[in-house]
Amino acid sequence: MRLLLVEDSARLRGSLGRGLGRAGYVVDSTGDGNEGLWFAESNQYDTIVLDLMLPGLDGLTILRRLRQQQNRAPVLILTARDTVEDRVRGLSAGADDYLVKPFAFEELLARIQALCRRRYDSPNPLIVIGDLAVDTAARTVKQAGACIDLTPREFMLLEYLAARRGEVVSRREIEAHIYDDAVDPMSNVVDSAICSLRRKLGAHGVTPLIRTRRGMGYVLESAPR
Amino acid sequence: MTSIRRRLTVWVLAGCSVLWAGGAAGLYLDLRAGLLGEFDATLTARAQALAALTRQRGTVVELDFPGEFMPGFERGGAADYFQMQRADGGVFDQSPSLDGHVLAGAAAAAATPQYADVTLPDGSPGRAITLRFTPQSGDDETADSDRNSSTAPAVIVIVALHRSALDDRLKALATTLFGAGVLLAFVTLVGVPVLVRRGLSPLDAVAEQARGIDGASLERRFPSTSLPAELAPICGRLNELLARLQASFERERRFSADVAHELRTPVAELRAAVEVALRWPGDVAEATLALQEAHEIAVQMDGLITRLLTLARCEAGLQPVTREPVYVAALLQEVWEPLAAQAARKQVVTTWAVTEDTCLDTDRTLLRAIFSNLVANAVEYCPEGGSIGVCVPDGHDPWQLEISNTVAELATDDVSHLFDRFWQGDPRRAASFHSGLGLAVSKALAASLGMDITAQLASPTVLRLALTRRCERA
Repeated sequence: MRLLLVEDSARLRGSLGRGLGRAGYVVDSTGDGNEGLWFAESNQYDTIVLDLMLPGLDGLTILRRLRQQQNRAPVLILTARDTVEDRVRGLSAGADDYLVKPFAFEELLARIQALCRRRYDSPNPLIVIGDLAVDTAARTVKQAGACIDLTPREFMLLEYLAARRGEVVSRREIEAHIYDDAVDPMSNVVDSAICSLRRKLGAHGVTPLIRTRRGMGYVLESAPR
Repeated sequence: MTSIRRRLTVWVLAGCSVLWAGGAAGLYLDLRAGLLGEFDATLTARAQALAALTRQRGTVVELDFPGEFMPGFERGGAADYFQMQRADGGVFDQSPSLDGHVLAGAAAAAATPQYADVTLPDGSPGRAITLRFTPQSGDDETADSDRNSSTAPAVIVIVALHRSALDDRLKALATTLFGAGVLLAFVTLVGVPVLVRRGLSPLDAVAEQARGIDGASLERRFPSTSLPAELAPICGRLNELLARLQASFERERRFSADVAHELRTPVAELRAAVEVALRWPGDVAEATLALQEAHEIAVQMDGLITRLLTLARCEAGLQPVTREPVYVAALLQEVWEPLAAQAARKQVVTTWAVTEDTCLDTDRTLLRAIFSNLVANAVEYCPEGGSIGVCVPDGHDPWQLEISNTVAELATDDVSHLFDRFWQGDPRRAASFHSGLGLAVSKALAASLGMDITAQLASPTVLRLALTRRCERA
């Protein structure tokens, strides 16, 4: 899942960026409002974490502009403003969640996970596809009751495919949500990751779930068609 | 506690009582005098009529008493009495109604009629006139020559009438006035408190409105148009007081919110750094980074708390001041040195006009803190290629130091907020290391030193701050 973190405190931005990255998210971060808007307009984020008091462009203006552009990315406002009026103003402007500083990192993580699930209409953190169970909260994968050991990147790929199960997901979309901008568009990292994931899932002798749609992308299905 | 209503009621009641009692007494006395006057006029008319009927024939004085025309003097009549007597007291005629009794008139009859209250022969109260006159002569041919003869003996006539009717009328009058007084007193006792209460009801309304105003409703105001003229100025002043209170409360609320914000952000930074490090405890690099950040945050919060405490000390008048001779130019040079490199990097043009012998009797440490803040701000906010000027105007009384610098984006409205606690023109509160307290602290420190700091835009792109020593107190 790809997140955008717009926070003007460099220290907080650094800590959260590292923490969220270690938690399995791809994080773009910036401390400037204009740059944050540009990031949000240029990419499809699974969740945007947005501070309100920002240089250049304040958080509420960014939020309103995104909603005017029909940008449906879930937005979590992360701010020191704690009055009821502030919360109402933020949620009324189109935010999906509101968290007041200081906060527990675990809580932020849980809220981001919830917003990411909501993004793909999956309120249940446990996604079951056939005999495959992906627990996005515990970040574990079981197939036919057996635990499968995945790398963080492989888990992110499976989580994304599971969130969009039944849909064809293009390589470009996978790159956008799983990899940061450092990835060369011409590289075959996606194919390699899919291959690795198939191998681990197939090691248990079950029919492969990830299918290739030639020229289109990949789809995770419960049963072969 | 003194009550205006009670005092006003007592005063009005006392005033009305005196007024009513005085009025009733005056009215009674006036009517009594009128009735007595009428009574005395009747007496006078009777006496003069008798005098006119009295003739002197030679040495004999006779009264030609027409009993049929004056039936009151007859025995068994209306019990009017008269008595004619000589000046020596010899009675020579009296009304049949006296039936031989003697009337006691005035002791020494004067030329003018004398009136007196007497006891009549039947024992009842009466009033009598004693009139001294010279009877007319009974001889027609000598009448004119003898009428005013000084040799004619004077005659005294005493006429007395019953005054029971007069006393009854006076008694009835007194009773009526007393009854009216009692009624008025009752009406006053009941009516005055009601009227006073009604008259003071606007005060009650104002008190009720004041009771409803508390810290959460300071936006309320007393009505200024519907009030009586006496209360309007009071409510006007109260409204001004409320406005000042509201502004003060608002400032305090904003200050609390700002303090909370300024503390929340570093606490959030601290918590996030530590929690991320704790979540992956094996990552030594992350733990080291978290410790470094924790130290930076602690230093930053220490500075914030120190500035807040300094502000509180200054505002409470508890900031200690140790005066000594301080050379301004040397002190400015001292605070400039660590900033010179930053100014050079920004290619700032500096102009100094401070004579080296300028010396102040002040607290060196506090003045240094003020200079540091003002000069550091000038360097920080001066755009690249801008200019900074530091000067002490010659002959300026009182003493003044001006620090001006080029500014990129500063509106006139912003200047009025420069000394507000936590105000920052740039919303990047967390991104910068400025808390927005520097100028507020400098102003408070300057006040402790008997100085003031003011700010103005000398031009749209030049901000000038002036540190001015206040006039010496007498």
